[in-house]
Amino acid sequence: MKSHNPNLSASKSSSGREPEMIPQGIWSGTISFSLVAIPVQLVKAVDPGRVSFRMLHRDDYSPLQRRMFCPEEERIVAPDEIVKGYEIGPGKYIVMTDEELESVTPERSRTIEIIEFIDMKDVDPIYYEHPYYLVPLKGGEKAYRLLVEVLHRTNKAGLAKFVLAEREYLVAVESREGALALITLHYSEEILPDQDILPKGGKIETEEKSRMKNVIKKMMADFRPEKYADERREKILGLLKKKIKEKALVEAPEIGEEQGEGPADLIAALEESMRKVKKNR
Amino acid sequence: MAGGTIWKGHIHFGGANVPVKLHTAVREERIQFHLLHRRDHAKLRQQMICAYEKKLVPIEAQAKGLEVEEGKYIIVDPEELERTAPEGTRVIEVHEFVKAEEIDPIFLDRVYYLEPDAPAKGYNELVGALREIGVDGICTWTMRKRSYLGALETDGKILRLNTLRYADEVISVKSLELQKIPVSEKELKIGSDLINQLTGPFQPEQFENEHQKKLRHLIEKKARGEEIAILRPRRLKPTESDKLLQTLEASLKKVA
Repeated sequence: MKSHNPNLSASKSSSGREPEMIPQGIWSGTISFSLVAIPVQLVKAVDPGRVSFRMLHRDDYSPLQRRMFCPEEERIVAPDEIVKGYEIGPGKYIVMTDEELESVTPERSRTIEIIEFIDMKDVDPIYYEHPYYLVPLKGGEKAYRLLVEVLHRTNKAGLAKFVLAEREYLVAVESREGALALITLHYSEEILPDQDILPKGGKIETEEKSRMKNVIKKMMADFRPEKYADERREKILGLLKKKIKEKALVEAPEIGEEQGEGPADLIAALEESMRKVKKNR
Repeated sequence: MAGGTIWKGHIHFGGANVPVKLHTAVREERIQFHLLHRRDHAKLRQQMICAYEKKLVPIEAQAKGLEVEEGKYIIVDPEELERTAPEGTRVIEVHEFVKAEEIDPIFLDRVYYLEPDAPAKGYNELVGALREIGVDGICTWTMRKRSYLGALETDGKILRLNTLRYADEVISVKSLELQKIPVSEKELKIGSDLINQLTGPFQPEQFENEHQKKLRHLIEKKARGEEIAILRPRRLKPTESDKLLQTLEASLKKVA
């Protein structure tokens, strides 16, 4: 289900995460409303909390690297030998350069221009796609703070379009806990119609409905998502701890001078790194 | 049409059982590019190579490892991972109900439509009950070997399931280390007036993916052998802090 995840980040951290660091920038440019322009950087707001494994070579446990391979010449191709092609027929491509791709909508590739402001309550959650944060770049701190404050005061969000990695996004920019959050939205043409799944015969048994309402009222609570944990991830972490205890550690060839510090410390290190991740969120 | 059925089960809470089928609600379209070899336009394939031996490593020789300290890994076999998969159930268990507006949008992930399944019962009643109280049900279920957290909601006609991110997946604003910069009351007042002037209703159907259309045209143009004009993106000049008030006033004058 998460495979659709439009993770715009080009670089994914390969091994352990670095929770202490400010999230890396995905894009930098300007956000503008009316005549005000603020230099900003786009950073991620969510990090799929999966245990990040590294792909290794089973023979020598050295890390694997992703490379592009030409099946015709049967060899690895260097980055500067790679071009982007659009398939117009079987095996026939139109090659597009990065400059040509950037020329499609150049005015939107470095600017998030807020066209209007809306009330987020009017936005059906079905439109929400993926959240990010915007952080100010040098010189933009004050105007950034102003936009955060006035969005918070007016309870509005700015609506804008911008282009990132050859894709144009409709986005809502809102104030969240003193920062600007940018949420990509789906286009309405991407929302599938639901008429065909509407229940046939709209009859409602009022007695059953009031019974449900009574149950619901008894089950009311505050929204506290931290109560729920990803059970699968907990199980994987449990498995990893068990394996560390069993000293099931392997070493890559590059490093070899040091011995493992012993199982107890490694568990502590694993727990420490998980704790840091949690604390930082 | 909504997407095909991807999962079947029933919603359960306090004695109620509502059979449902899950459908995809969103379909994204985008122009796909392939990576080609510049010289012969052969379509490239992704391959894993060993960083040490610099040779291709077939899938059979690949292993998953967690780096515990630099260069030291715990190897985890696919069978071991398989055993951590949650048990498949057919139940969307509602644990509690929350006011719909309380759900922080940053948690919202992906929406599915729920269609009533046979025996059709309780569906319309649940739509009515959720709508009249204005609540969403916080629920969990397992699907495709993963456990999900979600909000059971209604748009007034049908039931929908919105998957939620787990709390520890959301990066805190605190970690952004933003500076607190004072902004004057006058600037805030003019800024707010400006936003109110520029506020309109949310009409998503007014927006289309123009970029996608232009890109298609550009590709066709190039396919016909025509020249493509190269346009450079320009960065706007940032508003200087000491000109902020002046710029806001000018903006307000422009829209008023």
